[in-house]
Amino acid sequence: MKSLRRIMLVEDNLNDIDLTLAALEEHHLANEIVVARDGAEALDYLYSRGKFAGRDDGPPAVILLDIKMPKVGGLEVLRQMKSDPALSALPVVMLTSSREEPDLAASYSLGANAYVVKPVDFQQFVDAVRQIGVFWAVVNEPPPRNAIK
Amino acid sequence: MPLRDLPIRRKLILLLLLTSAVVMLLMRVTFFTYEYLTFRRETIRQLSTLGEVIAANSTAALAFDNQDDAREILTALKANRHLVAAALYDGSGKFFAGYPAARPVTAFPAAPDGEGFHFEQSYLSGFQPVTQRERRLGTLYLQLDTGVVMREWLWGSLQIALGLMAVIVGVAYLLSRALQKQVSQPILALAETARAISERKNYSVRATKLGDDEIGRLTDAFNQMLDEIQALNRDLERRVVERTAQLEAANKELNRSRAVFESIFESLPGLFLVLKPDLTIVTASDAYLKATMTTREKMVGQNMFEVFPDNPAEPDATGSSNLRASLERVLATGATDNMAIQKYDVRRPDGVYEERYWSPVNSPLLGVDRRVEYLIHRVEDVTDFVRQKPVQNGDPDAMRIKLEQMEAEIFQSSQKVQASNQQLRSANAELEAFSYSVSHDLRAPLRHIDGFAGLLGKSDGKQLSERGRGYLAHISDSARQMGTLIDDLLVFSRMGRSEMNLGPVDLRQLADETVQTIKRQEAAERKIKWELGALPVVHGDRPMLRQVFVNLIANAVKYSRPREEADIEVGLFDEPEEWVIFVRDNGVGFEMQYAQKLFGVFQRLHRAEEFEGTGIGLANVRRIITRHGGRTWAESVVGSGATFYFSLPKNPGIKT
Repeated sequence: MKSLRRIMLVEDNLNDIDLTLAALEEHHLANEIVVARDGAEALDYLYSRGKFAGRDDGPPAVILLDIKMPKVGGLEVLRQMKSDPALSALPVVMLTSSREEPDLAASYSLGANAYVVKPVDFQQFVDAVRQIGVFWAVVNEPPPRNAIK
Repeated sequence: MPLRDLPIRRKLILLLLLTSAVVMLLMRVTFFTYEYLTFRRETIRQLSTLGEVIAANSTAALAFDNQDDAREILTALKANRHLVAAALYDGSGKFFAGYPAARPVTAFPAAPDGEGFHFEQSYLSGFQPVTQRERRLGTLYLQLDTGVVMREWLWGSLQIALGLMAVIVGVAYLLSRALQKQVSQPILALAETARAISERKNYSVRATKLGDDEIGRLTDAFNQMLDEIQALNRDLERRVVERTAQLEAANKELNRSRAVFESIFESLPGLFLVLKPDLTIVTASDAYLKATMTTREKMVGQNMFEVFPDNPAEPDATGSSNLRASLERVLATGATDNMAIQKYDVRRPDGVYEERYWSPVNSPLLGVDRRVEYLIHRVEDVTDFVRQKPVQNGDPDAMRIKLEQMEAEIFQSSQKVQASNQQLRSANAELEAFSYSVSHDLRAPLRHIDGFAGLLGKSDGKQLSERGRGYLAHISDSARQMGTLIDDLLVFSRMGRSEMNLGPVDLRQLADETVQTIKRQEAAERKIKWELGALPVVHGDRPMLRQVFVNLIANAVKYSRPREEADIEVGLFDEPEEWVIFVRDNGVGFEMQYAQKLFGVFQRLHRAEEFEGTGIGLANVRRIITRHGGRTWAESVVGSGATFYFSLPKNPGIKT
């Protein structure tokens, strides 16, 4: 049986974190969830540095990445990940309130694997999070370990 | 000199001489051959005669076997110095006696061999039988040296031949000299005539015909050719005369029209001065001459600034330097230059300067290569105008100061316009940033409200009263509705901001696509009678125009929902300047007094419980059509349907 893969959520807003975790819980997706509160923290985690130094549990199966965050924004995190061969294979799903065309265009051109606009309707939001979780953390085969440092 | 370059006369003489020499030579060879053969025959005959005589004399000596007699007889042959050897043989063929006596026996032929004489190299030798009364007594041998004889004969013959040849060639030369004239004379005469014509160009000269042979015919042809040349020449001369006359007439006409134009120019009711690019004066209008108190003769060809110097009494005058700068600008740019009013002091013939105010305009006259060929300097004398103006303190510079003030004001207001443009740009950028944050920041709390209301309902819903649960539902509904409003507002703002992507758009195709989409969605279970008329292809932004059809047709479907069978028609009025497209339904309609409100943002004429919607669709339609340079309006009768119109200009000058 497959071991449950880790999902990483990069989100600055506590309400959104709560709602996302609630949505995942609702579908009994018991995967381990790591939360980073901004882009800088996300990069520290991915590179196992700062307060994550010495971490050796490998990369997450998928990263749910907000765009508008303090310090380092989601697009910058995406740019750094996709331009680093060690992280570029990691699936990244943009999960954001923005439907603006420039954000969409920038995300895809930087190499985002998916782009999901958070619906206002909670039920729709729950459905969206569930589908992302099920697809990327259960259905989808992640890249092999040796493709990621 | 090669033969072909010799004069004809020499050629003819040489020809005749050569011919007679060759004929002569051939004749000599024939003669010589004949004489040679005759000579040989004669020699043989003479030798046989001699042989017969000797043989007759030798019969006794042979018959009596007397060798001494025989030797004596043979000795008599001495008389013939060319006879080199002779011998007698007896009847049995044995050597009997020889001559000369000293010649050894072995030098003679051993025995007679045949009869008759033969040439053998340069000798003639042979045997002759000696007989008496049919009885053969013996044989005589004779050998004659013919070499010397032959040489003597040949030498004589050659001398005769050479002598004859000399005489004949001499005679032939004299004859040919006299006769060649018959042939060469007419040719030379013809050549001389041709040379004379080509040198003197006198085509009336004719060659003299000297005979009716080929040369005579050549002379005829030559003369005929001369006739034609003469005729052509005459025709050409006539035409030159005609053409010259025409040219002179044209020239005269040109001069006349030039004079007319000059006088038109000179009498123009304006002050005009025409300059070359080096600023020398070409001409001036009479008005200009009058205003400057000078004459045309005094200025044409002169440099303008020498003719019109600054007033020496006013060293600070700027008129000339301003004018020079303006003319140089025209030369540099090739464009007309309007000057501000200038003060010029005009020098009167008596040397006194008169104060004048002129408003000059300098324009270029461009040649075919777009280079400035002439400068036209036109001035308006505004002296009276300036003087009449109530000028403060009587200061003549006040006008200039005023002008400068005006220029400064214009400059300031253009600065202001630029500043407000800048403000507009930054306001636009702010709007951009605002809509971004509306999209992102305003939606987030709404999502949270709905999310936590949902979570609350799930976790503690059972402990809430019926009313409490209703409140929760209202919270969710309101949040969702506000989300929709924000989304619509964003679309509306994007419609106004986004760049237009213009191209040909087939409206009929757009309408078809829209109807198909709507049929698949909400209208699937509805009974709708569609009527789509012909629609034009227009110049516009395709996605925007699609939005127009989507909104109008969706509205028609929505507001005809209460009807058993909906009638929806899309059609066209072809107006002279514009296309007018309409979407008509038989729905609930609206009251005409609110028609203008329809196209405002969030303006609704129905309650949300009756017909859903945020009231942004028609505002979008109006915004899109306005950006295409068209108009929007609507008509309706309450209860029996509505018609929405929009127009698109046929000749669009679309503002984007």
